Amino acid sequence: MKNRVFLIFLITVFVLGFSVLSEAQKEKAPEKPSPAPAKPAVMGKPIIIGVPTSLYTPFGRDGLKAVNLAVEEINAKGGVSLGREKRPFKVVVTDTRDGEPATPTHDALMAYEKLILEQKPHAVVVGPFRSEFLIASMDLVAKHKFPQLGTIAQTPAFQKQFKTDPEKYKYLFRVTTDSTVPGMYLSRSLDILKKDFKLESIYVLYQDTLWAQAFSGVVRKHCQENGWKEVGYDAYAAGASDFSPGLTKAKEGKAQVIAMMWDVPLGAGIFAKQYVAMQVPALLIGFIPPMAAPAAVKTVGSEVEYSIAVEFPVGASLPLKKLPKTVEFLEKFKRKYKELPEAPAVNSSAYDSVFILARAIERAGSLESDKLVAALEQTDYKGVSGRIKFNKETHTAIFSDKDPNETGVAVVFQWQKDKKGQLIRVPVYPDFVAEGKILLPPWMK
Amino acid sequence: MVEAEARYRKKRLDRGIKVRADTIFAIASYKEILYLILPRALPVFGLLILPFVLTDYWGKVLVYACVYGLLALSWDFLASCGLFSLGQAFFLGIGAYIAGALSYYFHWSPAITMPIATLGGGVLCAALLSPVVRLRGVYFAMVTLMLPMLLMKMIETTGLLGGAQGLSALKPLPKGWIGGYIVVLVFMTCIFSFRRLINEDYGLVMKAIRDDDRAVMSAAINIYWRKIQALFLAGATGAFAGAFMTHHYQFVGMSTFALDYSILPVAAAALGGPGTFAGAALGSMILVPLSEALRALGGMRIAIYCGILIISVIALPEGIFHYLERKYHQFERLVRVG
Amino acid sequence: MSLLVYGTITSIILALYTVGFSLTYGISGLANFAHGALYILTGYSIWSFLNQLHLPYLIAAPLSVILIGIFGFVVYWVLLLRVRGVALAELIVTFAAGVAILELLMWKGFYGIQYSLPLFVRGGMKIGGVALDYQRLIVAGTGLLLVVLLYLFVHHTRIGLAFRGMAQNERTALSVGIESDWIGSLSLAFGSALASLAAVVVLPLGIMESAIGYEVLIYALAVAIVGGLESTSGMIVGSFMIGFGQVAAARYIGPKWMIIVPLTAIILVLAIKPSGLFGQFKELEERI
Repeated sequence: MKNRVFLIFLITVFVLGFSVLSEAQKEKAPEKPSPAPAKPAVMGKPIIIGVPTSLYTPFGRDGLKAVNLAVEEINAKGGVSLGREKRPFKVVVTDTRDGEPATPTHDALMAYEKLILEQKPHAVVVGPFRSEFLIASMDLVAKHKFPQLGTIAQTPAFQKQFKTDPEKYKYLFRVTTDSTVPGMYLSRSLDILKKDFKLESIYVLYQDTLWAQAFSGVVRKHCQENGWKEVGYDAYAAGASDFSPGLTKAKEGKAQVIAMMWDVPLGAGIFAKQYVAMQVPALLIGFIPPMAAPAAVKTVGSEVEYSIAVEFPVGASLPLKKLPKTVEFLEKFKRKYKELPEAPAVNSSAYDSVFILARAIERAGSLESDKLVAALEQTDYKGVSGRIKFNKETHTAIFSDKDPNETGVAVVFQWQKDKKGQLIRVPVYPDFVAEGKILLPPWMK
Repeated sequence: MVEAEARYRKKRLDRGIKVRADTIFAIASYKEILYLILPRALPVFGLLILPFVLTDYWGKVLVYACVYGLLALSWDFLASCGLFSLGQAFFLGIGAYIAGALSYYFHWSPAITMPIATLGGGVLCAALLSPVVRLRGVYFAMVTLMLPMLLMKMIETTGLLGGAQGLSALKPLPKGWIGGYIVVLVFMTCIFSFRRLINEDYGLVMKAIRDDDRAVMSAAINIYWRKIQALFLAGATGAFAGAFMTHHYQFVGMSTFALDYSILPVAAAALGGPGTFAGAALGSMILVPLSEALRALGGMRIAIYCGILIISVIALPEGIFHYLERKYHQFERLVRVG
Repeated sequence: MSLLVYGTITSIILALYTVGFSLTYGISGLANFAHGALYILTGYSIWSFLNQLHLPYLIAAPLSVILIGIFGFVVYWVLLLRVRGVALAELIVTFAAGVAILELLMWKGFYGIQYSLPLFVRGGMKIGGVALDYQRLIVAGTGLLLVVLLYLFVHHTRIGLAFRGMAQNERTALSVGIESDWIGSLSLAFGSALASLAAVVVLPLGIMESAIGYEVLIYALAVAIVGGLESTSGMIVGSFMIGFGQVAAARYIGPKWMIIVPLTAIILVLAIKPSGLFGQFKELEERI
């Protein structure tokens, strides 16, 4: 008995001591700027970028990788010019776990607040994954007053909340799309399908979260206005693991197109496999990460052929020959991390956000939050995701599908067989990036 | 199994000071008074000072620990009545949503919403759980485990009360240490009043219900009504914790029903020692700061936390508080046998 | 028709989830909250064998099942024996162990689309106009086979009979020489092995992630409670009720309501008939 108690006492002391020591160490010794870049001639104190996000999701993990890549590039050139000196960026990370459904938002807020209070970042990039957490964090950011450049959460509720008090929430920006943008892109692709192939019946399935609701709402409205027959419009709970009722409905209703919007790999993966298993004779279109990721053929199989996906913004995982910046970014990413980013969304926004921040700091000539915010509002940056300018009324980046030199853009692509019979992703819309046209599967003719 | 012959036995004797501090002789000298008062006064004193002394972040951790402490206390109270609950998140969430909804839709201030949420939450929880109050043991535990999950999914599915997005930008508590103080004071009040209550006649009936309910029934006491009262008290405590958390974070969402809020109070009570409310409080005061301190370890945090939990539950099944109490009152010696 | 087919498949999958949990509970009274974690651990171990050690599937799968069984045995022997009988401690230990396993897996990066097990056989066939893939047929077949085998095991082998003896009356079993420590550990070993067997056939249907662990646990609990905590026939009926309930709810009310079905079922059953449909715990343990 005595020995056992002594044992727990020892273990507890050991763990507590270890954690306290490592925390103390973090504050004393500055972290090496992630991974050591080539000889920077920097003199100044590092500018601290905070990355509080859900690291156990592909979006958070790859977003952090993109940020580190950008920081390395900037630091290699000496850093950011502030006043007379050049100062490097330093990235501090915390895992808010908000990508997992079991994490209470309060817990995520605590993790975020710990990062703010202990590491004192000058700005935050990437930011929350879960829409609920994004809205909750808006108050936190407003309280502590530092710029947050969100690059993951897509919910339009951000704009709504922002408009309730623009002066209070002015520190918040969104550098990436919101879900109405891919919705618009999909609608245009549906137009092409209708015009070229006379398809007209559609089944819409989406994840029961705000961003997906907005996404599919746009698509639905478009379909209703353009004479599409709606076989069904179903929301599935975010943790759903069985889509057979929906796929059956699509099959029995003779839907020619199935539009699907999902982000967590789990549900999307099951859907993809079930779609293949149930042999539903419909064209798959939408945002289904496992079917659109570079590794889709290995995971789902050759049945991904002919499925159409939207990637937002450009450069997230598909290199586009007509937009050399995307090729450049993805090549750098691959060189450093040995593989392309997994999810076909938002990775390029994370990369761009660091440069946008750097430019804003140089424009403002100071790290003071209010000046930085004013400088950020003036952003006009040509990055991997297009030309990024902020809408003054909502602090969101402007995206459209007309011209990558004017706004940010996204891309729609289809899996097709190339001349050697390999499955590759061919961009099909918009015209300024398209390398091919949409093909109809032979079993649909 | 091999037979082992006992060569030593443990001999436990009350400490001298404990014997001297019995009944009226406690006021005989300062030593005895201190001996009795110190274990009670020290934590009280500490908790009263801490909100002033701690930095911003650790002040928040203290508040969080008190919230979990309230949940652990309510769990312990239910356990003292024989109701083994795995659904503290249920109480927390109901209180949180009542306060949140009143604040969001009617813009009432916390001074009004919190009392309403506490009492209303207690009533609602008791009412919702009254059909299953006849269940015992693991079955009651299962229902309480499932109820918060059901409510969470219902809110997500129907989209009521903010749905998946939650209600945000609610009215905050007064700035500074007042907010933290409220919860610390309520926490301490709860510990001491529960401890007092369980030793009064009312509490004795509760403990009897836990030990042998048929005997209590045969004494013509309506045990269901008593159980519902226990649910009300525990529910009100949990609901207060929820309402407080809502106003403290200015946000309420369906994640308030998370499993985390159900399991941690149970773990805290198990660690500290079930049956004595001080044990539950002690357990949560240890576990929550530990969980926060472990954040430094990044990804392994929860795994290590669970490991510590398992080891403490196995190695010290009686709980830390019982162990400390025993050490404080008694000393042990190994004595040769024969 | 497709409702029938898919309802049946869903029900069999649910039964596969539950059979391990139910066995452990029936024999040693231990509610194994680490059930879901063991399920996912199997997936991870098969994936590692396949992709990192490059073993063929026919070795990876059975090896994983055996490993997980041994793991369950060890967990019982080392951790749970010491807290046997203290329901609270058992609950915390198994639950914490489950969470720790899932967390460790996540820490090792076990999320994302590359974590997927290959299907046994690709392709499918039509049953009554409903396309059904071979993998699901294999799942159904395995489920039925398992039930039959389990029945034979529990009624005709020495260990199986020892299991039943302990489930019926532990003291008497002890007096006949059935050592409860050993049999208890074996019960957890078997429960874990059954969970991993379910994982082997069901996981290829989708992508693997730690979050599935919690889901499997909830489904297993739901089916076990609805059917009665240690009755095999009750478990089968319970799984069919919940399975069909889910598919029907998705079809006729809306897919959003799918997850509500098992949760409501548990609460209703517990409120009305706590011992479950076929439960044998009708003795005064559950209500007054």
